[in-house]
Amino acid sequence: MAVIAPTDEAGVAAAVRAAHADDRALELEGGGSRRGFGRPLQTADTLSLAGLGGIELYEPGELVIRARAGTPLTEVEAALAAEGQMLPFEPPDYRRLLGNDGAAPTIGGLVAANLSGPARIARGALRDSLIGVRFVDGEGRIQRSGGRVMKNVTGLDLVKLVAGAHGTLGALTEVTFKVLPRPEAELTLAVPGLDPARAGAAMTGALATPLEVAAAAHLPAELAARSTVPEVAGAGTALTLLRLESFADFIGGRVARLAEHLGADSGALHLEAGASRAVWGEIRDVTLLAEPRDRAVWKISTAPTAGTALFESLTDELDGEGYLDWSGGLVWLAVPPHQDDAGSATIREALAALGGHATLVRAPATLRAAIDVFEPPTRQVMALTRRVKDAFDPKRILNPGRMYAGV
Amino acid sequence: MPDGLEHRGRERALALLAERFGPRFSRAPAVRAQHGRGEAWHPAQPPDAVVWCARTEEVAAVVTVCAEHRVPVVPFGAGTSLEGQLCCVDGGVSVDLASMNRVLEINAADLDVAVEAGVTRTQLNSDLRDQGLFFPIDPGADATLGGMAATRASGTNAVRYGTMRDNVLGVTAVMPDGRVARFGGRARKSAAGYDLTRLLVGSEGTLGVVTELRLQVHGIPEAIAAAVCGFASLEGAVTTAIETVQAGVPVARVELLDELQMRACIAFSELEGYAAAPTLFFEFHGTPAAVAEQAATVGGLAAANGGGAFAWATLAEERNRLWRARHDVYYAALALRPGAQAIATDVCVPISTLAEVVSATRRDIAASGLIAPVVGHVGDGNFHLQLLVDPADPDEMRRAEALHAAMVDRALAVGGTCTGEHGVGIGKLAKVAKEHPTAIPYWRALKRALDPDGIMNPGKIFAAD
Repeated sequence: MAVIAPTDEAGVAAAVRAAHADDRALELEGGGSRRGFGRPLQTADTLSLAGLGGIELYEPGELVIRARAGTPLTEVEAALAAEGQMLPFEPPDYRRLLGNDGAAPTIGGLVAANLSGPARIARGALRDSLIGVRFVDGEGRIQRSGGRVMKNVTGLDLVKLVAGAHGTLGALTEVTFKVLPRPEAELTLAVPGLDPARAGAAMTGALATPLEVAAAAHLPAELAARSTVPEVAGAGTALTLLRLESFADFIGGRVARLAEHLGADSGALHLEAGASRAVWGEIRDVTLLAEPRDRAVWKISTAPTAGTALFESLTDELDGEGYLDWSGGLVWLAVPPHQDDAGSATIREALAALGGHATLVRAPATLRAAIDVFEPPTRQVMALTRRVKDAFDPKRILNPGRMYAGV
Repeated sequence: MPDGLEHRGRERALALLAERFGPRFSRAPAVRAQHGRGEAWHPAQPPDAVVWCARTEEVAAVVTVCAEHRVPVVPFGAGTSLEGQLCCVDGGVSVDLASMNRVLEINAADLDVAVEAGVTRTQLNSDLRDQGLFFPIDPGADATLGGMAATRASGTNAVRYGTMRDNVLGVTAVMPDGRVARFGGRARKSAAGYDLTRLLVGSEGTLGVVTELRLQVHGIPEAIAAAVCGFASLEGAVTTAIETVQAGVPVARVELLDELQMRACIAFSELEGYAAAPTLFFEFHGTPAAVAEQAATVGGLAAANGGGAFAWATLAEERNRLWRARHDVYYAALALRPGAQAIATDVCVPISTLAEVVSATRRDIAASGLIAPVVGHVGDGNFHLQLLVDPADPDEMRRAEALHAAMVDRALAVGGTCTGEHGVGIGKLAKVAKEHPTAIPYWRALKRALDPDGIMNPGKIFAAD
């Protein structure tokens, strides 16, 4: 088992060509921060992209940043922060959750997994901000798609296809994002004591106002109690969190309007900037479910109004624990180890009725090999998925089986 | 033309469709000619026949017959595309989806809707209005939502609400083998397999026929205000738009019209009280306070760049009149030269280079002697020249093509693209091949993987092998 660690795109292409010639599959790796996510692989060699570092283009006035795939996310975020800008989708960091504390997440790995944080409901997913990529396909050919402009309709949208393909279509070498100015001010209103159903209604109701709520989540009492933010942990009850962002001069007016919308008797706490950032970091990075480590953790997406009922029934049936993000459209659920299949059958059956998909984000390798990690597609979509894989990686060199067997 | 064997297969397929669809099948020359072109100058290339479908299963039946006999299938919505996406380069069957016009579901709390592909954007918006919702994507024409998805359309709201790429949650499509596939759904999409939804969005009918869509919709803002601001110079107008976006002002719309386009609009749409000067149209959405905040910020930027006072339109009917005029720029420009046809150009460049690129392009227009008004979605770096031409005049067509080529070269030199929103069709085949030389083998490979017989809208986006 060798680790191949090229330092440029040509090296990546050469490594993939060699693997292709010898029929040797490769496991792709960035910073290793999401090691243990997806179906386990048994490849001969590992191709590390961590040697492809560096921001290649950053023009703050253009609202665009381009970096090589192995660039640490912290480096990208620091460069943007220095100019008062940010990646729009609030990238999450699953190191604590997955127990990979020493690793450094890379921008390319983030794209491969298409991970987005709480701001997704207001500012879109990672792939909505991704405007260009370069990658090496399964035959070692260098390919580019998209570019550095805001809108581009030249041909088939390979940018969106490789985002979230978990390295099964190509080894990313360079990614380009559109970025946004960082809001001058943020403040979170935390409504205490709502059950999930009322919380769901409060969240969708707040999002329907013109107040531009930037994030909406619900922490049940036991999760809130685990927060490192004193106001959250000390509330002693469930908290429904609504985040507002604006220019410094205008945030006060927004907060007053939202408080008025929630009603004078809502008892909403005000979490000022520091506390607000800290609690949304916990929600984004799923640290509140990191311990105990023997629990399986699911990320379940459904329609926002379906999420609250789904959350209540699943926590009840599976003896699980979790919280709601994305205004109820995202359920994070930790399932104790005494459930043989980590609750897979129950979760997938519930979703079949409601619509949506579940991803097993954390579980032992044996379990990830035995059950579907990603939502199994319909037979027809699976057939199309295989044909897309055929077009990019006919010999199954890149991360074979990471998402689905045979892909 | 098809050879003998293929010809007999095609005739057999058409006979089967004629039998099944009766009066909803036509080979009348006028009908075929109307289905073989869009709104721009590309001459009609008619299909062999037109079939009007009312349900997904009917589209599946048509495609099944066509797949068996290897007959091209070209989906048709409102017929408003601009790059020859509807030209049937090898004949075949035009599948007219205009009667698939039912809004199937409106989920107000989840902000999503399900529609059939033939619903137009204005029809959807009139159904949504009384629920306090709207769908923001607004190409100039009243296109069908299926066609808008197929061409990945955008419009004046993209700077705040994104394009079709961002607002399609899922699609139902008839695939090239005639089977119906459903992609995506009501969940906010995160990690359920390859994003085949977005592969179909923008594929211009080359991978399948989109028959139903699930779309994200938005709440109608509590306050909406539109403003028009004239500038002493075009550069001042462009700079104001760029600075607005760079400052993070969540402006809903910011549209540029040069003095010629403004003159055309004043005449065509009978606008009163505006000057034929370089002009920005703005729209602000939010709470009354937020709208006031945004307007104050942008007003300051405009004044610093040689802008005049804002002329406000806050009443719904004034606003509608203004945006109707903006949406009609294509027709207004055509009226500048009666009898002319239009070559629509569509470059998109990094916003930090926009002012310079627009100025250089205007010098080219002056040197070319052509009539070519400028209109732009300047918040995105996307702008159009409408080149008014007589396609029968070869010298004029040569000058127009040279101007267009220079504009594209300049865009590519600064990292831009030849098409920001109209798509490729047949009109931009050569320009896209130049912009993405290495991508075309992939698009072909994907096309072969999903449509091995190449029956879905052949000859679009990239030339066949």
